[in-house]
Amino acid sequence: MSNKRIRKIVIVGGGTAGWMAASAIAHVLKNNYADITLIESQAIGTVGVGEATIPQIVNFQTMLGLDENEFVARTNATFKLGIEFVNWSSQGSRYIHPFGSYGIEMEGIAFHHFWLKQRNLQRAKGARVTPLSDYCLQAVAAKRNLFMRPVQAPNSPLEKIAYAFQFDALLYAQYLREIAESKGVKRIEGRVVDTHLNSENGYIEKLTLDNGQEIDGDLFVDCSGFRGLLIEEALETGYEEWTHWLPCDRAVAVPCESVGDPEPYTRSTAHQAGWQWRIPLQHRIGNGHVFSSPYMSDEEATKILMQNIDGKPLADPRILKFVTGRRRKFWNKNCVAIGLAAGFMEPLESTSIHLAQSAIAKLLAFFPQEEIKPVDVDMFNAMTVTEYEQIRDFLILHYHQTQRTDSDFWNDVRTMEIPNNLTQRMELYRETGRIFRQNDELFTDTSWLAVMDGQELDTSAYHPVVDAMGEDELLARLNNIRDVVMNSADVMPTHRKFIDDNCKASQHAS
Amino acid sequence: MPANSIDRIVIVGGGTAGWMTAAALSNIFRGSNMQIDLIESEEIGTVGVGEATIPEIMKFNGLLGIDENEFMRATQATFKLGIEFHDWHKPGQRYFHPFGVYGLDMEGISFHHFWLRARAAGDTSALEDYCLAWQAAKNGRFSKPSGPPNSPLSGIRYAYHFDALLYARFLRQYAEKLGVRRTEGKVVSVQQRSDDGFIESVQLENGDKKEAQLFIDCTGFFGLLIEKTLESGYEDWSHWLPCDSAIAAPCERTGNLTPYTRSTARKAGWQWRIPLQHRVGNGYVYASQYTSDEEARQTLVDNLEGPVLAEPRQLRFTTGKRREIWKKNCIAIGLSSGFLEPLESTSIHLIQSAISKLISLFPTGNFNPVDRQKFNQLIDQEFETVRDFLILHYKATERSDSEFWNYVRAMEIPEFLSQKLKLFEEAGRIFRDENEIFAEPSWLAVLTGQGVFPAQYHPIADVISPEETMQRLHAIKDVIGRASASLPMHEDFIAENCKAQSDPKNQSSIRTEPAADADPFKL
Repeated sequence: MSNKRIRKIVIVGGGTAGWMAASAIAHVLKNNYADITLIESQAIGTVGVGEATIPQIVNFQTMLGLDENEFVARTNATFKLGIEFVNWSSQGSRYIHPFGSYGIEMEGIAFHHFWLKQRNLQRAKGARVTPLSDYCLQAVAAKRNLFMRPVQAPNSPLEKIAYAFQFDALLYAQYLREIAESKGVKRIEGRVVDTHLNSENGYIEKLTLDNGQEIDGDLFVDCSGFRGLLIEEALETGYEEWTHWLPCDRAVAVPCESVGDPEPYTRSTAHQAGWQWRIPLQHRIGNGHVFSSPYMSDEEATKILMQNIDGKPLADPRILKFVTGRRRKFWNKNCVAIGLAAGFMEPLESTSIHLAQSAIAKLLAFFPQEEIKPVDVDMFNAMTVTEYEQIRDFLILHYHQTQRTDSDFWNDVRTMEIPNNLTQRMELYRETGRIFRQNDELFTDTSWLAVMDGQELDTSAYHPVVDAMGEDELLARLNNIRDVVMNSADVMPTHRKFIDDNCKASQHAS
Repeated sequence: MPANSIDRIVIVGGGTAGWMTAAALSNIFRGSNMQIDLIESEEIGTVGVGEATIPEIMKFNGLLGIDENEFMRATQATFKLGIEFHDWHKPGQRYFHPFGVYGLDMEGISFHHFWLRARAAGDTSALEDYCLAWQAAKNGRFSKPSGPPNSPLSGIRYAYHFDALLYARFLRQYAEKLGVRRTEGKVVSVQQRSDDGFIESVQLENGDKKEAQLFIDCTGFFGLLIEKTLESGYEDWSHWLPCDSAIAAPCERTGNLTPYTRSTARKAGWQWRIPLQHRVGNGYVYASQYTSDEEARQTLVDNLEGPVLAEPRQLRFTTGKRREIWKKNCIAIGLSSGFLEPLESTSIHLIQSAISKLISLFPTGNFNPVDRQKFNQLIDQEFETVRDFLILHYKATERSDSEFWNYVRAMEIPEFLSQKLKLFEEAGRIFRDENEIFAEPSWLAVLTGQGVFPAQYHPIADVISPEETMQRLHAIKDVIGRASASLPMHEDFIAENCKAQSDPKNQSSIRTEPAADADPFKL
């Protein structure tokens, strides 16, 4: 082993990102490879943004070797099969973005091309159009409040039920803290008041805490949230703003009592100048109204939120402010920013926790052996930029592809200039019905299709090879797929029952 | 069908590219009113591109529903577990580029970091000791994957060596059965629409005109439609890949039937050896700037293992790519789209890949430009990633025994490749984009095989103690050794499953033309 290698890792900030990083790094760098210290202060509140997740989180939990039922019970979690979008395309509209694919590929051609032709035929006859969601088990199960994990059932959609979780981010951080501490992570209570940089290379050498204690390290992980205590305040990395594309800059959040069984999906409801999340947990519902301050006051946003919650509020509404965008470098010198310190995108597609997870995985893949190499840092940053931009474009699609004309906010986002890449993707779909997923992109064809179709991006085109199949056969095959999906849903238990049988939280904090 | 849909396709040129395209399109449009014509001339020889393949070919045959044993019998095929490279790093050195993987990933990181760590501590085992494909291949053994998932034998990946002319003939039967009309004849003129230059029809010597909405140019280097008619232009890459000629000849086989291709570096290029059931294909790919045709011919003849079976044939080419592979209503597939030497057996793969992209982006009659742009973007990317992988073989060398090697060793290389080299040299990292054909083990094989060793390995390899690391490596080596020894001989496996019927000796003696199929890219 080398003498110059990383021996001390210091993580600043103990929210979800901090404890995810601490537990994962400690798990992988086992056998006391390095000292891992996490500094957090009880005095600084953590932002529990993104209580809803996407299915990739299952990989994170598996990597840590967590027991899923225990994790669900400990964090008051529920299962999530997708997101329902209400009033996005137009007032009164709704669609589901499910975690799972539509139908099955036939003759090497994606299913939706067959559906697009069926839709043309149905429209021509003036018949009812069978919705895309009828061909996706997750979408059907979500609407009926059903859930179960995938089971062995060859060639059945029951075999491939992808799911994620909706959980209490604070409880999750606490849970991961226990795991991290059991793997040797040292937690220090305190606030960082000073950062010392090396005069020659600008690397962070040590931190000073409010009690005067000094903490030195070889590698620093900045999980301090929006402010970016190390990456920005000390290293002045810079920030690229995306507010011209994603103008929401505030959120007001409040939990409320549940009034029924928890749904296995998140709901996002568009309002006049933003949207409201609704995340059902076992013991309560998380709610928040994301809005754009140039278009709406805090008071009005709060009023709208309070008028649109199911049960009794369980706390005072809290206002959060943010600037959508990303840090110019995520890894700068010997500091890696993870979580909100790296950048912010509204939780419209529940990507916050995923971005933290992905940054951790990349940090481990590029973990320095001796001194930090520019080639590794450049690659880490380039990969992260691509990831952020792909998600950004997917979020912009939700705003831009709308028919709403009822407020300045919607008029502006509907008519704004959008990134070139997104224009091309929308054009490709509109003109040919085709969707191409970019290299390693997080969101799949299914996701793009769900949102483009859900937001009424229309196309009359479909893949020409579909015409090689006779119309009667096409309709018969699609009916058959729909029957299989419906029959599969029939064997699933309710979400509530599944939780009660497997992973009910022991106490329901109110 | 909608009024604007395409229902007539003309493919100009038979050969591997033409008949692969015809077979795939007739299969996908089975049962529709699509009419597919293929025009070829017995007088124009076909270029049997790439007798050696990579595992992706199985997807192509699979999509067509071809029976593997039948296909192997019909094309004198053998199995291929990888490519052995001789004298590339420096004379006397060899390595194997396998299909399949090395060892077993542990602690979430690639196996090779553990091997590098053991090596740093003085262990002398070769990376190949942990590669099932090579352990089987070097002893002439072969079998298809078997056993439960995660067992070593389940990870076998293979491709084929076959007679490309016989493969084209096999696919011709398939395509004709599905209604493809073959027309014998030469195209003498091409008619274009006056307003936008789209091709309307092609005219044959006898005056017949073939009309279509979509034309596929499979005319080889010549590029009758894509270049001679549409003037797409050509991007020349010979400053990176200076070989521009080849001389090829089949010979009799001596020794056992090896389940791999061999590539041997020579003074001004390299020589291929492709074992078929009935003979061995050989060829010397060289840069005419650095050696004469006569010298090249002599080099080939001096390096044949058995009696030569046909007069050596000379080929010329320019490495590069057509600027627009899909232009107007014409798509170039095969050598008409570009040329990359068959060092990594990618010629047939590039055909297959173009066909699958064409199917996925199949146009409607109004030829929406977004389809064409996407197709060209994807295929350009594919050509470039293959090109860069080939350049690596020339760049990463210590040979200094000829002007040719001195040039390639010192040349400037594309940015993408230098980034890859740097990442590996500094910390042993290999990253691959989803769309790249060659995966991590391929890069690892060629990099380490050609003497590129990282200064460091992944630090996570240090979380296991040195003793445990060695124990694990020994265990893996042991399992692979035993698994490979349990496989049948390649020759026996073929005899049992897919031996070609015809007597190879007869076949070669009744041949009246030069053995056209013996070279991977004759014109």
